[in-house]
Amino acid sequence: MSALSVVGGGGFGLALAHAALRGGHSVTLWSRRPIDERPAGLLTTSKLADVAASDLVLVAVPSSHVLDTARALGEHLEGRHLVVHVSRGLVGEGLHTVSHTLRHETAARRVGCLAGPLGAATLRDGLPGGGVIGTAFGEVADAVRTAIGGPALRLYETEDVLGVELASALVGLLALALGFAKELGYGPSTLSMLMTRGLAEVTRFGVACGADEATFHGMAGFGDLLAAAFGDERPEVLLGRSLARGQRAVDAAREAGAHVEGVQIAHRVSARARSLGVEMPISDAIAALVDGTIEAPRALETLMQRRVRRE
Amino acid sequence: MSKVASALRQLLTKPLRLPHLAPFVAEPGQPPIFGFNSERGDIVREVVTRVQARLKAEGRPLEYALNEVAIDEVRRLEGQRDDEARLHLGRWRGLLKRCGRMNDAEKAEALREVSEHYASDVAGNFDPRVYAMATRAIPHGLSAILKPSSVPADLGRLGLGPVAVDELMRTEGELDLLRKLWTKGTLVFVPTHSSNLDSVALGYALMREQLPPVVYGAGKNLFSNPIVSFFMHNLGAYRVDRRIRAALYKDVLKTYAGVMVERGYHSLFFPGGTRSRSGLVERRLKLGLAGSAVEAFSRNTVRGVTRPVYFVPTTINYSLVLEGETLIEDWLKESGKARYIIEDDEFSQIERWIAFFRKLGEMEAPCTIRFGRPIDPFGNVVDDEGRSIGPHGRPIDPTGYVSREGRATLDPRRDAAYTRELGQLLAERFETETVLMATQVVSHVLFRALVQRSPGLDLFGRLRLRGDVALTREELRADLGATLERLRELEQRGAVRLSRLSRTAAPDELLDRVAAAFSGYHERTILTETNGTLTLEDPTMLLYYQNRLVAYAERIAGDGQLPAAREIARLARAGGAS
Repeated sequence: MSALSVVGGGGFGLALAHAALRGGHSVTLWSRRPIDERPAGLLTTSKLADVAASDLVLVAVPSSHVLDTARALGEHLEGRHLVVHVSRGLVGEGLHTVSHTLRHETAARRVGCLAGPLGAATLRDGLPGGGVIGTAFGEVADAVRTAIGGPALRLYETEDVLGVELASALVGLLALALGFAKELGYGPSTLSMLMTRGLAEVTRFGVACGADEATFHGMAGFGDLLAAAFGDERPEVLLGRSLARGQRAVDAAREAGAHVEGVQIAHRVSARARSLGVEMPISDAIAALVDGTIEAPRALETLMQRRVRRE
Repeated sequence: MSKVASALRQLLTKPLRLPHLAPFVAEPGQPPIFGFNSERGDIVREVVTRVQARLKAEGRPLEYALNEVAIDEVRRLEGQRDDEARLHLGRWRGLLKRCGRMNDAEKAEALREVSEHYASDVAGNFDPRVYAMATRAIPHGLSAILKPSSVPADLGRLGLGPVAVDELMRTEGELDLLRKLWTKGTLVFVPTHSSNLDSVALGYALMREQLPPVVYGAGKNLFSNPIVSFFMHNLGAYRVDRRIRAALYKDVLKTYAGVMVERGYHSLFFPGGTRSRSGLVERRLKLGLAGSAVEAFSRNTVRGVTRPVYFVPTTINYSLVLEGETLIEDWLKESGKARYIIEDDEFSQIERWIAFFRKLGEMEAPCTIRFGRPIDPFGNVVDDEGRSIGPHGRPIDPTGYVSREGRATLDPRRDAAYTRELGQLLAERFETETVLMATQVVSHVLFRALVQRSPGLDLFGRLRLRGDVALTREELRADLGATLERLRELEQRGAVRLSRLSRTAAPDELLDRVAAAFSGYHERTILTETNGTLTLEDPTMLLYYQNRLVAYAERIAGDGQLPAAREIARLARAGGAS
């Protein structure tokens, strides 16, 4: 039994706390807001300094809050801390990964990312599931397994942190496209084509950024995409649906639930792809949709009219 | 006759030492290297013990390790067919034959002998008398070390006079901080690497700036000149024989480097490994031996020794690179990427040296060494007191990085990960600490013009455009002027550094100085000017010098130049290893 801290009192933060408590660990959870349904034994705090008491810190805040949270954590974290985040998304104009932000804003270096098809409910209830921990540090992966692992949870490990974080963020974009196409009433064959091509293009992007192709075909990429496709109605899918109904991005995001990362990164990913010389037609279409420069029905048409080449 | 000559050659490759009666003991306040000789035997023993322990911990049969090293050495010596082969090949062949029949104790002993043979070969020497001599020899020092028999006369003939050497080099950056830090921890200099001159130039710079001497690994080929060898060997350099591929040798080397840092010897490692073939500033750093410095910090911490390690990102910038032509040709040859040792480059040709020194008189300080702000092994900056400072300006305890649950631990995988991250950070720092010399800036503007004027051609097509592209001086003046302005802006923002000439000179002056510097220096003519028209005679050398600006190309491109700049940037990306 050991101690760990969770930063963020949202669904995933609480699920992490549940899993760790089930393993008999002592858990301190930091949250801006009071927690209504607090699991038995959970210590809560509103002071980030309390988080630094344990060496393992799990960060579960939406990526739009990552920068502020990382800065605030920077006041307290030191070299002895192991920090693992579960945020899906990229930070700022520079499209920095969350772990990059954590490393730059805090003194912690042993950083990792937990991603893949692991849903909050699965984790909270101890149902069979799995994910992947991206970290260059074996001890980080070990610490996470010790903290939240259980008989029903398979946590794989890779050193390709960049790949895990990019895959995780970009699958969010694809989930948005998925919701969009679903709302327009397309069936399995259209959706499958869209997802397959989508995964291919985000993989291209990732490889151009220096990530490992295999990572996109694993838990963080393919695995997570399947979870979205099988219908866990995650916010990105809902957002895609709203956009397809012709709603403006801002309203759609509000309706789908707060902090939808897809809205914020579509445009930037598209621009970065251009400067890298990578073609990303689906991301371009999403960016155009979010910007409102293209009408919903036109988007898919544009995609279908592209010249067909060898696979 | 040939036997005598070969025996003599063999003798000369063994670095000479001066006889001494009493061991040198470092006086208080002197860097630890002054007491190196009394520790030398102990260090060799420690390296051997550690290598043995690691082999044992790996749990592989010792026979494998023994077999591997013997096979590698037999293969190498068979290929070498030189005096060393004649002397040692038989012994290795014998070992290869015997090792199958040895019992475990014999195998362990054989491995110990091999490790000891390697460690003794690697280990350097430090003779304070030689150091004092070298110090006194300044300002002739650098030249004397390089070409002692003829340099003074040459310098006289060339009209450079005794002040020459000091004029030749400019040092800048965090010198005051370094002078404070060397007593508080171990300095590990990690410079960019473009010439065989680098280690000598840096050694000289440290001496001139009253910084302690450093130990560093020098390629064995540099030891082939007995006089160079004498100075290098007696000033702390250890020998690295890149021809030896055996894993055991690399292990010995890395352990030696680590033990030296652990014991507080200020060190120098070239994190890019070999000289940059392309002229590009190194971007992917493997760190290699420098990684042992991270592990050294862990080992000390575990033992309860708190001696900080400070990495000093350093850039060594030349107006002209002695071996430029060979290096870039090597980069361009696909097969060249695997070639580690170039025996026959300009470094070994006396006439190149004379040309080099002659040119030096005409340029601004032709070598500028810039010392960046030191960082700890975990990428934190260091303050004047030598403390690690976190991103919020708070002092932090670096030993935490090598601890788990409050206890310091040894973890090679963890340290390897720290090392990789340090490599990335150093690459970023190299980009902002690089000092762009006038020759490089002018080459970039010229090469960019060439790219703009040859759309659709690939790199090799462009390199064949010898004498095909010409520009008027007016065109060039305007282009260079605008580029300089953007570069100066970048410098203001701290994104790069400029040499004094690049920072202050007007375009015309810059062009004249660079044209004069290029003229007659390299074998091939780079640039000619007739009636106000400049002709690009050798795109290859322009490429080499302009490669230093690749990281900034897109940021300093003017209207309509962005596609060319992107192409230049992409070309460097595609080039792979630098």
